[in-house]
Order: sequence, then C-alpha cells, then structure tokens
Amino acid sequence: MNPSPRNPFTPDSVSAYGPGTVEATLRLIATVPAPEGLEDRIQASLAATPQTARILAWPVALRPDHGWMRAAAAAAIVFVVVGGGWGVYSRVQPGMQSGSRVVPIRVASPASGFSSAGAMRTPQTLNGPVAPAPVVVTQAASGAVKAQRKPGQKPTGTAKKAAAGKAAALPAAPAAK
Amino acid sequence: MSTSQAILAGWMEIPRSSVQDQVRQRAEEEEALAALVSQYAATLYRVAFSVLRHPADAEDAVQETFLRVLRHRDTLGEVRDNRVWLIRIVWNIVLDRKRRSKTRPETDDVAELARVLPAKGLSAEEITAAAQHHSRVLACVDQLPAKERQVLMLSAFEELSSVEIAEVLGVTESSVRSRLFRARNRMAELLNHSRSLR
Repeated sequence: MNPSPRNPFTPDSVSAYGPGTVEATLRLIATVPAPEGLEDRIQASLAATPQTARILAWPVALRPDHGWMRAAAAAAIVFVVVGGGWGVYSRVQPGMQSGSRVVPIRVASPASGFSSAGAMRTPQTLNGPVAPAPVVVTQAASGAVKAQRKPGQKPTGTAKKAAAGKAAALPAAPAAK
Repeated sequence: MSTSQAILAGWMEIPRSSVQDQVRQRAEEEEALAALVSQYAATLYRVAFSVLRHPADAEDAVQETFLRVLRHRDTLGEVRDNRVWLIRIVWNIVLDRKRRSKTRPETDDVAELARVLPAKGLSAEEITAAAQHHSRVLACVDQLPAKERQVLMLSAFEELSSVEIAEVLGVTESSVRSRLFRARNRMAELLNHSRSLR
C-alpha cells in the first residue's frame, strides 16, 4: 500500500508498536471495497423518500422577503414603545426635582394650648364628644314600666336587683303570726 | 364559485414563476445530491465499516447520512468541503449506532472478517490466520480510550489529512497529533501484553 502524501500518519512513521501491525490492520479495514450496487440502492432510497412539497404559496405582496412588511413590523414596535412611554409620562407628574427634600408643613400650635415641643407635625385635635344631660327617672315612669311587663314573665337579673333594692328601701312588713 | 372561494383563491394563489423556480431548484438539488452519492458513497461506506465492522450496518449508516443531507439540502450551498462534511455526518451516525448497540459483542467475528477483508493470492488457511490476527488487533484497538481510538481509526484513511481529521472530530490539529501519539504508545503496550500472554 502506498502511503499518501496527504496523510502524515504513514506506516513508516509507525514504529512504536512494531512493524505497523495496527496500522496495517486499520488500513486494511479502511480499504474495504463498498458492496456492489451501493450507490443505486442509496439513490433509490432517496427517491423513495417523500419530499415535502410546497403547494400553497404566500401572495407576492405578503412574502416575507418584501421590505414593507419588515418596515411595518418595525413601525408597530416603535408605536408600542412610544405609546407605552407616553402613557407612563402622562400619568406621572414631574413635580419634584431631584435632590429636594420633602418637609411637612409646620402646623402652628394654638395660642392658648400647649406648645408643640419642636414636633414636626402635630395632629389636629377634634372637639371631644359632649356628654348628654342625665335622664331623671321618676316614680311614675318606673310604675309604667312595671305595668308593661306581663304577669307571667320572670324578672331578669337586673330587674331582680332593682326589686331587691326597692324592698330594702321600703320598711319591713310585720311578720305573720 | 362563491365570493368567499374567489377571495380565498386570490389570497392563496400559486404564482407560476415561483413554482417554476421551486421545480428548477429542486431538480438542481437532486442533481447535486446524486453527484454527492456517486462521488462519496464508497468513502462513507468505508468510514462506517471501520467503526461498525458490519456490512449491512455500514450501508444503513451511509443511507441515513444521505437522508440527512436530503433533509438539510437547503444548506448544501453553504458547505465548504463536502467530503469532510459528509464524513463528519457519517462519523457521528456510526458513533451513535455503536453507542446504542452495546449488546453486540465487541470482538469481531473472525469468519466475517475473513469474508470481508481483501485477501488476494492467499490460501484459505492463510486467510483464516490473517483474519484471526486482525481480529486480535482490533480487539486491542477497542480497548483504547474513545478519543484516542477515534483518531487512530481515522488516521488509517489515506484521504484524510490531520487537519481534516481535526475537522471531523471538532478538535484542533495539535490535539489530533497528541491523541495519536498516546494511542500508538498505548497500542504498543497492549500488543506487547497480549503477545506475552500467548
């Protein structure tokens, strides 16, 4: 076998493991002739393979290789980005400048009240609730309440207490003999 | 034809010029593929056989290679070197098949080797003895690490330079050389060891 000038691994350079034993075997394997009719069989298998045919096609105006579709897509992207930015900008008021500090408004303490003791902000006090005038329950009114109670109804706990207090207030009845 | 059908037909019209272009393009691709088959089928078969060492498996691998080419025939124009590209495809296919067929015994059938390997002017006994010898050598080759074994096997192909071997394996040329050096040293150890055992 003639060594090829293209291949640097010629048998002459192989001396580490004997007189090209491995090299000779591998070269023998590498020169195995192809079986007869290999090309025909491959051609036949390629011809039998179903090829994906493209029956329908895009209209000429809508083909992707036309530039206007790309331009329209770019315009749509720009529109979305600019519209979103404008939507955010129109909602956020540029009231504050960078570097400024927000200081609460100092509420002046009332002249007659306590001082604010240097507080940054004092809460506004509200007018407290006004207590209503005490209701005077007269004897006649309590009698009317008793009359409204049904005869078979048991007195509640509070009614019992009220009755016990009333009995203690009255003079003791003479014991029955 | 109703209005909607007319609109649909107008919308999905088949431009005659584009159909002709496609037909022409497909014919050109088929011609190119047929040329590739006639030019490189034998080479690819030998590459596949060097790994699989089975004629039918090697032929299947070559067929699968060209089927892959057919599937990606759009990229044929971008290929710089068709031969190296095809060898790389078939190399990956046979390595994948070899990996999958782990159940198959690693040692080669001596009778199959004697049948396949060319042996002109040898008697039947000499052919059998040669086949046994080659089978032992190939068994030692199979004991090499995968990277070194691959470089050693590809280096046996005279039509492949070290640069092309590096391209097929996806490594640098220097690593091809270093792997080949290690593979040779390792093969020497293995052969000496097997010789001492006999």
